[in-house]
Amino acid sequence: MPSVSRLLDLMGPSGLIVQALLASLVAVVGLLAFILLRRGARRLYFWRRDRRVLEVRAEWDAIVDGSIPPRSWVLGRMSRDIVEGILLDRIEVASPEEVERLLECLRFSGLLDARIHEARIWRGWRRHKALLALGRMRAPEAIPALAEGLDDAGEECRGAATRGLGRMGLPRAAVPILQRVSAGKLEAPSSLLQDALINNCRPTPGLVLTFLLKAVEGARPLLARVLGEIATPDLDEDLLLLASDESPEVRASAARALACAKPGLAVSILAGLVDDEEWFVRLRAVVALGELEDPRAIPILLHGLCDRNRQVRIRSSCALSRLKNHLEDILCLALRTQDAYAIQELVSELERSCGVFELVTALGDSRRRAKAEAALLAALRGGRRILLDLVLHHENWRTRGALARLLSRSGDPELPKMMELFDSPGLPLRKRRVLRWLARQLAPAQASLSQAARGWHDWPDCAVGQHAAVLLLPGL
Amino acid sequence: MIGPIVQWVNTLLFFYYLVCNLIYLRLLVAAIKASVNQNRRQKTAWLDRVRRSPLTPPISLLVPAHNEERSIVESVRSLLALDYPDFEVIVTNDGSKDGTLAQLVEYFQLTQSDYLYLPQIETKPVRGVYLSRTERKLIVLDKEAGGSKSDAINAAMNLASKPYVCVVDADSMLESDGLLRIMAPVVNDPDRVVAAGGIVRVINGSRVTNGSVGDVRLPWEFLEMMQVEEYLRAFLIGREGWNAFNMLLIISGAFGVFRTDLCKQLGGFRRGAIGEDLDLVVRMHRQLREQNQKYRVHFVADPVCWTEVPSTFRSLGNQRARWHNGLAECLWHNRCMLFNSRYGRIGWVAIPYMWLFELIAPVLEILGWVSILVAAFLGLLSRRFFIQFLLFGYVFSTLISVGSVLIEEMTYKRYNNWRDLARLICFCFLEHFPYRQIHALWRLRGIWQYLRGNHTWTKIERVGLGTSPKPSVAAG
Repeated sequence: MPSVSRLLDLMGPSGLIVQALLASLVAVVGLLAFILLRRGARRLYFWRRDRRVLEVRAEWDAIVDGSIPPRSWVLGRMSRDIVEGILLDRIEVASPEEVERLLECLRFSGLLDARIHEARIWRGWRRHKALLALGRMRAPEAIPALAEGLDDAGEECRGAATRGLGRMGLPRAAVPILQRVSAGKLEAPSSLLQDALINNCRPTPGLVLTFLLKAVEGARPLLARVLGEIATPDLDEDLLLLASDESPEVRASAARALACAKPGLAVSILAGLVDDEEWFVRLRAVVALGELEDPRAIPILLHGLCDRNRQVRIRSSCALSRLKNHLEDILCLALRTQDAYAIQELVSELERSCGVFELVTALGDSRRRAKAEAALLAALRGGRRILLDLVLHHENWRTRGALARLLSRSGDPELPKMMELFDSPGLPLRKRRVLRWLARQLAPAQASLSQAARGWHDWPDCAVGQHAAVLLLPGL
Repeated sequence: MIGPIVQWVNTLLFFYYLVCNLIYLRLLVAAIKASVNQNRRQKTAWLDRVRRSPLTPPISLLVPAHNEERSIVESVRSLLALDYPDFEVIVTNDGSKDGTLAQLVEYFQLTQSDYLYLPQIETKPVRGVYLSRTERKLIVLDKEAGGSKSDAINAAMNLASKPYVCVVDADSMLESDGLLRIMAPVVNDPDRVVAAGGIVRVINGSRVTNGSVGDVRLPWEFLEMMQVEEYLRAFLIGREGWNAFNMLLIISGAFGVFRTDLCKQLGGFRRGAIGEDLDLVVRMHRQLREQNQKYRVHFVADPVCWTEVPSTFRSLGNQRARWHNGLAECLWHNRCMLFNSRYGRIGWVAIPYMWLFELIAPVLEILGWVSILVAAFLGLLSRRFFIQFLLFGYVFSTLISVGSVLIEEMTYKRYNNWRDLARLICFCFLEHFPYRQIHALWRLRGIWQYLRGNHTWTKIERVGLGTSPKPSVAAG
C-alpha cells in the first residue's frame, strides 16, 4: 500500500496545495477543538473554584487567626490562590490594625516567604506575578526582593517591581528607586516611577530633593516632576533654587510645586516664571497662581491672560475665574489691557465657570452693585445670551428685575434680535411680558445708544468706560 | 497567444495568493502572542492607578456628527458618563439637515455662547458654540457642512484644550473604562506613544440601557454577523499583528487617541481625505520618521468602542466603497513613502502591503475569477487543481477567521453565551461565498469612485442606539 506522501506525489503539481489544504484543515479542527474544550474546562474550573471560595469564606476567620492550620490549605494550589487573593483584596481596603492581622496571616502561613522566594529565583511572567503580589502585600520585608526586581533584564518585571515598591507607601521603599533613577540606571516607564515615588515620598519630599540635587541630567526632570506633586510649604527656599534651574522641565515642576508654598514667596517667584521663555513653564506658573487663589496674583494673571500662547491664556482665565470675590475688579482690569483675545477668553471662561452668575448675584449686594454693573455691561458683548437667559430663569425675582433694568439701559442694538430667539410660543406668558417690556425699553435704539454711551463716560474710569462701550456697541 | 498570457496571469496570482496567505499566517501568530501578553498585563494592570494618578493626562473627546439624530443623545450621554479623571466632550454638528442639533439642545439644555473659537486649523465657518446647563464637560459646535468628517473633527480640535484628543464617532459608544484602558500605553510611555487606538465592536444585537451596553449579544441578521466576523479579524489579527511589529498604519476613526500638538502640527485631519483616520496616522509616521524621532503608534485591544454597523446591502456597500476610496486617496497622497528607505519598515513593508494586498486586492481578485473562467473556456484549467486550490482557499480563510475567534475566546471573551460562540464559529465557514465576492465588488467601486474624483462623505443609514429619558437640570 503506497504511503500518503507517495500518494501526494502521484497527484502531480497540486501536491503542495493538497498538503497545505490538509495542514489548514487540521489546524482549523485543532483550533475549534481547543476553543470548545478550553471553554468547557474553564467552566468546570470556575464551578469548582466558586464552590471552594464559598468554603474558604465560611472558614475565613479561622484561617486568618490560624485556628485552621495553614498546611491544610497552603498545599493545594487552588485553595492557596483563593486565600492569597482574598487576603490581598482585603489588605487594599483594611484599616491599619486589620492590615497587621492579615499580614501576620501571610507571614505565619509562609505565603509571604514563598512569594519572596519566587520573586528571587523565577524569571519572566512568573517573577512578574510574584513581584506584583509582593507589592500588594505591603510587607516591609519584601522591599529587598522588590529592589532586586528593579535590576531584571525584562521591562515587564522592572515595571512590576516599581509598582510593587510604589504600593508600600514607605520612604525606605523609595530609596532603591531613587538610587537607580538618580544614577540613570533604571529604565522603566516614567509614569510608573513617578507614581511609585509620589506614593512613597509624600511624607518626606526632602528625600526626593536630596537625590534631585545630585541626579544625572536625564533624571532631573522626572524627580522634579515628583517633587512638584508632593511639595510642602517648608521647601520654599529649595524651590526658589529650582525655579532658576537651566532645564525648563525642572522650572515647570518648580512652578507646580510652588502652588503648595507659602503664598507671599510663591507669588513673587511665580511672577518671574510667568515671563519664562518656554510656554509650558508659563502655563505651570499661571496654574499654580490659580491654585494659590491669592488676590495679589491678579495683575500677574492678567499678564498671563495676554500671553502669546493660547493655552497660557486659557489657564490664566481659569485661574482668574477662581477668584470669585474679585470678579468685578478682574473684568474691569482685563478691559484695560485692550487685548480683545484676552477679554474674550475671560468672558468665555466666566460664562463656562458660572462666573457671570456670580456677578449677577452681586447686583443684589449694594456694596458690590456698582462694580458688578460695570463688569456685566462690559461683558455684555460676550455674554448677552446668558444674561437674557438669566433675566428669564434666575431663581431670585429681585435679581431678575435688576438685571432686566440693567439690560434695558444697555442700549444694545443686538438685544432685540436675540430676544426673538427666546420668545418662543412655549414660553410662559409672564416671561413673554418681561421680554416685551424689555423690547419696548430698547425700541428707540438710537436714543438708547447715546444714553448708554453717556452712561459709560460717566464712570469714574473713563478709559474702561470707553473700551467697554466699544465692545458693547460695535457701531458707536 | 491568449493561452500563455492566461497561464502567466494564473501563475502570478498563485504567488500573490501564496505571499498574501503567508503574511496573514505571520500576523495571526504575532497577534496570538501579543494578545496573550496583553491579557496577562491586563490582569495585573490596575486601572485604578491610571484613574488616581495626578500624571494621567486630560483628554478632549471629539465627536463629529452629521445627521445623527437617532443616536446622538445616547452616544453623548455614554461619553459623559465615562470613567476618566479629566475630560471634555466637544461635539461638532457638521451642518446636519436632520434634528441632530435640536436633539442636543433639548436634551442637554444647551444655550448658545460666545465661547472663544480660534480657527487654528482651517475649517468651514462655525455658526455657533453651545454650552450645556446640565453638563459642564460638554461643548457643542455648530458649523456649516464641510463635506467630510475631517472638517468636523478639525473644528472640534480647534476648541480642544487638552493635551490629547480622542476621536469618537457619534454613532458609537465607549465602554465606561474605555478611556482609562486606551490611555494606559500613553500613561506608561508618554514620551514615545503619539497615538493609540482601541477595538471597535459591533453593537447590533446587544442591549443598550442608559447609555451603556448592557447585555452583549450577537446580531441575528446575516449581514451584521458577517461584519462581526470582519471586525474581529481586522482588529484582533490585523491591528494586533501590525502593532506587534510597530507598523500600525490605521487607528480607527471611531475610537482613537492622538497627541493634540502633533495633530495640530500636521494641520489636523486632512480636508478632503475620506479615510481621514488612515491618512492622519500615515502622515504621523511620515513626519516623525522624517524627524528621526523615536515614537510608537499603539493598538490596545481591550478598550472597546461599540458601533452600529449598516444592516442593509446598500449602506454597507456605500460604506465599504467609501473606505476603499479613502484608502486609495491616502496611499496616492503619500506615494512618496513607497519603497523609500527614509521611512524604514513603514516605507518598505507596511505601505507596500497596503498597496498590494489591500488597495489592488479587489482588482486582482476579480482578475482571478476572469482568468479562471478564460482558462476553463480555453481548456487550460486543471479541474482537480482548481478544486483543490478552491478548497485550500476556503479552509485557509476559515483558519484565519477561527484564529480571530480563538483570540477573542482566550483573551477578551465578550460573547459568553455558548450559542453566540457556536454562531461565531459557524459564520467563519459562511463568509467566503457570496459575501466575499460582493465585498470585492464594493471595494472595486471604491477604486472607481476615487478614479472619478468622487470624494463625498456618504451617509450610512442607521437604526439608532436607543432612547433616553430626559434629565433634569438638577441631575447635571
